[in-house]
Amino acid sequence: MSTTADATTRGSATLEVTPRPEAPRPSGLVYLGLAGLAVLAFILFWATRDSGDILLIPLGFVTLWAPLYPVIGLAVMLLTLLVCYRARIGTMGGFGALAFITMSYWAGSTVNFTLLEIPSRWSNVEPRLRAFLDPNWSYIWTVRDQWLITISMAVVATLIGCAIGLVLAMLASPVSSPNKGVSQAIKAVNSVVRSIPDVGWALLFVAFIGGTAHGLGPMAGVLALLMFNIGIVAKLLSETIDSVNPGPVEAADAAGANLTQRNRLAILPQVLPGFVSYGLYVFELNIRASAALGIVGVGGIGSAMMLQLNRFAFENVAAILIALILVVLLVDMFSMYIRRKLL
Amino acid sequence: MITFENIDVVYPNGYKGLSNVNLQINKGEFVAIVGLSGAGKSTLIRTVNGLVPFTSGTLRVGDEVVDPRSKAKLRRLRSRVGMIFQSFNLVTRVSVLNNVLVGRSAETPTWRSLLGWYRAEDKELAFQSLERVGIVDKAYMRASSLSGGQQQRVAIARVLAQDPEVILADEPVASLDPPTAHKVMRDLRRIQQELGITTIVNMHHLDLARSYADRIIGMRAGEVVFDGPVEEATDAVIEEVYQRSLTAEDIVAGDAVPGRAVPGRAVPAAKLQD
Repeated sequence: MSTTADATTRGSATLEVTPRPEAPRPSGLVYLGLAGLAVLAFILFWATRDSGDILLIPLGFVTLWAPLYPVIGLAVMLLTLLVCYRARIGTMGGFGALAFITMSYWAGSTVNFTLLEIPSRWSNVEPRLRAFLDPNWSYIWTVRDQWLITISMAVVATLIGCAIGLVLAMLASPVSSPNKGVSQAIKAVNSVVRSIPDVGWALLFVAFIGGTAHGLGPMAGVLALLMFNIGIVAKLLSETIDSVNPGPVEAADAAGANLTQRNRLAILPQVLPGFVSYGLYVFELNIRASAALGIVGVGGIGSAMMLQLNRFAFENVAAILIALILVVLLVDMFSMYIRRKLL
Repeated sequence: MITFENIDVVYPNGYKGLSNVNLQINKGEFVAIVGLSGAGKSTLIRTVNGLVPFTSGTLRVGDEVVDPRSKAKLRRLRSRVGMIFQSFNLVTRVSVLNNVLVGRSAETPTWRSLLGWYRAEDKELAFQSLERVGIVDKAYMRASSLSGGQQQRVAIARVLAQDPEVILADEPVASLDPPTAHKVMRDLRRIQQELGITTIVNMHHLDLARSYADRIIGMRAGEVVFDGPVEEATDAVIEEVYQRSLTAEDIVAGDAVPGRAVPGRAVPAAKLQD
């Protein structure tokens, strides 16, 4: 099988070698246009640059100068286009690569994103990092009550949130909703619920009913997590319902089932694995979110962490963070186990 | 008895599914509808239970006039008209029994369906239906663990659990291999004769239609172009319906029912001595 002739002969049958088709060459003109776009982006970067660093290009008789970072950007863009062209990537792919670089340069420069600052701040970073690397293990057990509150908050919010989310998902998906109007309305409500982040809900509920100062922290926390869970479960589940096998649904219709029966008998069994796994997912999110929610005063492990941060007791914060990682890992392993059993 | 009077179906996108169909299907008749794909076979069957609403004409099932706009009336109609599908349309993740009990939905209060807490007599009816198709021992197995032929039997049991007057079957054996196709068709025919249920079956296999049906309806471009007993549906007539000559793809072969063979069709004589 070393030569072409051997490779084409198997037993008595002879395969004819047909000419192999060439990969189509992308349009050079379009790539030229993309290079033009890159130059336009370069001009934009030049006009809006913050940094005064310049690059000097000595040509002997005259020395040209150019802004340093935009020139690097231009070089990266042109190089990428060249590689894309040589690899015969279609013009859409080339445009995508160009867009990726342009957007990340533009967005990064807008917020002055740079890692160059970190070494100069090292004197500030170092003592804290040292405290974090030497956690106060004995502290973990003293906040067990806060952990219990966090986990209870997550359990309550997950169970109620999933139940409400299931009903909303059934109403939101055009496959299972009574009519288009209901589905559109529920979808709109759901987008509003989701557009407010968990911390936003927590702030709202703390403002309305009172936080830890009134002894109502966990209650506000549960309500905040609840709204957060409803939004996620309703969204994910209604999309799962959109893609169920329509056959059993049609069969239930043909058997004279009403809408509720049809959704219960033909749709729910199909989406049940997804539903349970979304439930486990939001439970995990709740544990994590409750750490952030403590900052706005809803109780749980987050408030304990906030307290220690304010006291600059970084070794205690580190202990809480490590325990948080462990708890989230455990919850994750537990939910993976359940999912494997279920599917 | 099912009567079509000047039935037209125009789909929302303007496609004409049926045009001016006039038919009368008698009680207890076993009718096969043949035609090429796109001829309107599925549309015709689905107008009977309102899965496809007809746009003009009058359709009667028994004494009742079908009204595709009233959901409540449609549900009542559908409880009397069972349907079997090409892809079985079972909920594969639940038990065979629960699939069959879907057929009891129209007679079951919603709260019972929600809880999955069925009345003992409904369960008994479901078991009887499974008995009739010979898979009562599989009642508590997951539907997905059954073979294609068994799954279609579960679908037939689901229909029987409705205690229907009419069975509609849309290509019931098209996804089964030839021997299984024959077994399922034999079951359907036997049940139809035992219970005297009016049965309308869509087929694209001509030999199956001739072996099991009493009457054949040929369709082309949304119109009924042939309607007569099996004996009249000769190869020449069907070629006229299809507007092409018959090929090997129009038959499923395999074992036909002995004694129901009609001369002049593609079932080899050797196969008839089952």
